[in-house]
Amino acid sequence: MPKLIIDNLPVEVAPGTTVLEAARSVGITIPHFCYHPALALASACRLCAVKMLDGPVKGIQMSCSLPAQDGMVVSTTDPEALKMRALVIEWLMINHPHDCPVCDEGGECLLQDFTIAGGHSRRRYQGDKRTHRNQYLGEHIYHEMNRCIQCYRCVRFYQDYAGGTDFGVTGSAGRVYFGRFEDGPLESPFSGNLVDICPTGVFTDKTGRFRARYWDYQFAPSVCQHCSVGCNLAPQVFQREVIKIVGRRNDQVNSWFICDRARFDKKGINDPSRPRAPRVDGEATDYEAALDALAARIYDFVEVHGPESLAFVGSSRLSLEGCLMLGELVANFDAASLSFYGDPAEAKGSQLATELLSGENVAAPADLASADCIVLLSVDLMNEGPMLAPFIRKAWLGGTKVYRIADPALLSGQQLPFDCIEAATLAEVPLEQASRAIVVCHATRTPREELSDVAATGARLAMLQPGPNGFGAALVAREHGARPFDELLAARKVRGIVAFESDLPVANLKGITVLGCADWQATELSQKAGVFLPTTTWMESTGTSINFEGRAQRFERAFRPGYPLKGLDAKYYAQSRYGEPAPGQPKTPPPQPPRIPRGEIPGGQEIEAWKAMARLLEKLGGELIVEPLTGSWQPLRDIDPEAGGERIFSLFKSSEPDTL
Amino acid sequence: MEQVLFRHNRPGRVVTFKEYCDEGGFNALRKAISEMTPNEVQQAVIDSGLRGRGGAGFSTGRKWSFVPRDLPGPRWLICNCDEMEPGTYKDRVLLEHNPYSLIEGVTLACYALGVRHAFIFIRRGYEKAANNLAQGLIEAKEAGLLGKRILASEFSVDIDLHLSAGRYICGEETALINALEGKRPNPRSKPPFPATKGLWGGPTVVNNVETLANVPAIIAKGPGWFKGLARNAEGAGMKLFCVSGAVKNRVCVELPTGTTLREIIDGPCGGMKPGTKFKACIPGGASTQFLTPEHLDVPMDYDTVAKVGSRLGSGAIIVFEEGCCLVAATLNLITFFARESCGWCTPCREGLPFVKEVLTRIEAGAGEERDIEILREHVKYLNYTFCALAPGAMAPLDGLLRHFEAELREHIVQRKCPFK
Ligand SMILES: Cc1cc2nc3c(=O)[nH]c(=O)nc-3n(C[C@H](O)[C@H](O)[C@H](O)COP(=O)(O)O)c2cc1C
Ligand code: SF4
Ligand code: SF4
Ligand code: SF4
Ligand code: FES
Repeated sequence: MPKLIIDNLPVEVAPGTTVLEAARSVGITIPHFCYHPALALASACRLCAVKMLDGPVKGIQMSCSLPAQDGMVVSTTDPEALKMRALVIEWLMINHPHDCPVCDEGGECLLQDFTIAGGHSRRRYQGDKRTHRNQYLGEHIYHEMNRCIQCYRCVRFYQDYAGGTDFGVTGSAGRVYFGRFEDGPLESPFSGNLVDICPTGVFTDKTGRFRARYWDYQFAPSVCQHCSVGCNLAPQVFQREVIKIVGRRNDQVNSWFICDRARFDKKGINDPSRPRAPRVDGEATDYEAALDALAARIYDFVEVHGPESLAFVGSSRLSLEGCLMLGELVANFDAASLSFYGDPAEAKGSQLATELLSGENVAAPADLASADCIVLLSVDLMNEGPMLAPFIRKAWLGGTKVYRIADPALLSGQQLPFDCIEAATLAEVPLEQASRAIVVCHATRTPREELSDVAATGARLAMLQPGPNGFGAALVAREHGARPFDELLAARKVRGIVAFESDLPVANLKGITVLGCADWQATELSQKAGVFLPTTTWMESTGTSINFEGRAQRFERAFRPGYPLKGLDAKYYAQSRYGEPAPGQPKTPPPQPPRIPRGEIPGGQEIEAWKAMARLLEKLGGELIVEPLTGSWQPLRDIDPEAGGERIFSLFKSSEPDTL
Repeated sequence: MEQVLFRHNRPGRVVTFKEYCDEGGFNALRKAISEMTPNEVQQAVIDSGLRGRGGAGFSTGRKWSFVPRDLPGPRWLICNCDEMEPGTYKDRVLLEHNPYSLIEGVTLACYALGVRHAFIFIRRGYEKAANNLAQGLIEAKEAGLLGKRILASEFSVDIDLHLSAGRYICGEETALINALEGKRPNPRSKPPFPATKGLWGGPTVVNNVETLANVPAIIAKGPGWFKGLARNAEGAGMKLFCVSGAVKNRVCVELPTGTTLREIIDGPCGGMKPGTKFKACIPGGASTQFLTPEHLDVPMDYDTVAKVGSRLGSGAIIVFEEGCCLVAATLNLITFFARESCGWCTPCREGLPFVKEVLTRIEAGAGEERDIEILREHVKYLNYTFCALAPGAMAPLDGLLRHFEAELREHIVQRKCPFK
């Protein structure tokens, strides 16, 4: 373990740590542009200069690429180092526009920070500024090449990390250009990360440009609910509108990055047609009245048809808290049924995952990077778990072979950022020869026998789930004896349902009464429901979801729900950024909501689904539950949303995972 | 005078394969293969004192000795014929007269290093040299001196000629390796050095044309003989000097290492251009510091020139006469370097245009006193770049500030170029 001294502080770090990282470990930030922990070293910007006063190397050195060694004495404040850093800023500002006020990066710009920190303020260069032409890069990312400081982060991300081929660097000397050969939408499904990774305003999020400044935003640590990988992210919210979404670091799950769906798909949340008001038989009312009506209807229904005719339906997008509360609701009625999945294949698959997976045989996304054999078994990776792809790419670049057992129905045509060897069956893959093999599969599509074969080889599983909280829903389903909805239908007992954030197709519901539906989306089911209860999206909720590898992650409420304070921007509304207005919605954006001094937030009656259930339960004569995470779930209350999440397997020691 | 590299030269044309062979060509290869182990060849090169002629002057044999011989996978040898530094044209002259010494030298180096495949990386503009080499490679192959089982031994080697698109930075060895791999010619970080991790990740030696062309003579006549060719005790061998600027005859000559500047100018160059007086010269290509009349008797060898604050570099001497504006000359060179920066690191990419802007202003009579401080800062801080291009680019400016600051100030004070 190298021991060194940085600014008079003794530091001990693991071998291979750079001086820059060593300094960071004791709270000293050495200015840097090209250095990024997730990318290969570039040593290009030369901003991280420090002076080595003693030790194996002396003089000015670049701390980002200098491994810490015993006996080093480092000064980050030596006048020569300061001068070097000031010059680097001066050089970069030679060609950089001086117009931060009209730059969308302003306030979240590394160049601003380090220009101020570096003390450069007077221009000595008297020549002209070099200018570039910007490119059209599609509807998501705006390109302003004049703001480039040539740190090469974007290419190192786009090409090396994400495997994109349609964007790169051209030119030399002062004309280096970061773009495409010709204008056109960026092809990589990870392109949005350019916004985060560029330290200046070259790439900004077109879907949220010039709407607010960094300091205006409400932030909270959140978890993506688009697929079961559970990437960490943070919405940037201003006046109740999600303006931008940025990636949040979780080394095990998504490193620093998120896919474009996670970043740019804000439609559901900002959707102008999102149902905001509780309804009873189509008439808007307040929450209390709607809950009263639903409780009364459920009571009557059970009186008439008996509890065995009633089913409570959730889904794999319901939070863990919601799933558990649904279990409580069902338990309130002796013979009512519980269902999380419509399709028996989904139900069975998810169930299988909870039975088979353990802390030992499950693989985290980051584990893929160091796997020595990877199999894609009937998965549509770029749709079902896109953020796994960069990790697989990393392994592949290191020589790991990636096999694909393709399901022709699943070939979405999206290019994978690595090469695959096609195989017809698992038997063709030399799994036994590998010591760190991982099979990426999908819960709904992998038969138990096949998984047994895999397990026999010692390979680990990355078994994707049909929804963001599929694993959580399956655990609760197992605990409470839930059944696939199709089975309930076949048994012909169920005559009425109460649905919470469920995606059951209405076509299946002939002769079945939808007593109530709670959701934040305008689903078909919600249109059919007698009582409708609006719920909050995950960005407006605090809750827990469990990703495909059994990692429970906490997301926190970023903002209180309600109509956006400013109404929706006409420009963005017209461009269908939130989708076509739903039938019955105005073609022009809904106006700014009325302001009620110190009153309630207009359109802000939504509550978390589990809270709606808790209040319903109380009205049905049950106990008021204020904390759904009880019993074996209790430890999950303490999950730190910024600490990477926790695997749940240790919570269930009693129920040993099945042996295969 | 004894000639080594130019021994086979014919005036006005390239030596033929037959002529080269008749004059003892390829005997060194024969000797090495039949009488010497690869290690002995390397040792002979170490003992000869041969230093890299590409500019840095690193001991060639020692560089070879850094190549690990026990790694699996191929090793590579690359001959660097990018030669784009202003003033330097020795490799071109050498190859336009005789491609065979290089081919033999490359083959010998491959023998010493256990290399199976070598590349000659040549800049696009060198068509004649490239044609000579292409022809020479065919002839050598037909004569069994190249390819499989050379001279019926177990030793095989292929040499590929790679015509590069050519930029100055492609001459930097790691950028060259990237270029050869089909990537952008940005330099790579060192360490790892190419000797351990170079082309396609394999151990790689990059040597200059002149360096490798010296090897056959060293093997044929022995390291002691080669070392003794120098005029000074520390020196070794002969050196090509290619002279341009204000001399009567602009020539490329082969002279013993340690020959003085004065002897070169007064001898083969026939003195200064009539009516002119020596003011300064650049001794080793555009990336070296100016020398002044007081340095005329410095022996031209690596350490001796370094001692007076410049470098022997590539041995390209550019001579300036009295009345010639060295600010303009420096500006000219900086313009070249600023254009040829690869654009990877900030100080070089942005600093060189800054220097160019300042010098342009000074030369145009719009300089200010504080500009000198700016120039000094660049000379110092452009040392901290990613590769050696920028420090090299600062060398003439460094020389200007060191020896001709008065001339620079005169521009600022007079608000014009004093020579115009
Ligand atoms: C910017 C730059 C340009 C260079 N150009 C050349 C060149 O054109 N030819 C050359 O032989 N060496 C050139 N070099 C030196 C090479 O990097 C390398 O040191 C040399 O080829 C090694 O050969 P040698 O040991 O035989 O001198 C250049 C170096 C730098 C930094
Ligand atoms: S990129 Fe940063 S420094 Fe540049 S104009 Fe924008 S905010 Fe200012
Ligand atoms: S575009 Fe941004 S990330 Fe790319 S090199 Fe320029 S400043 Fe760096
Ligand atoms: S000093 Fe930097 S910018 Fe200049 S050529 Fe070398 S790596 Fe490229
Ligand atoms: S951060 Fe070290 S050189 Fe850029």
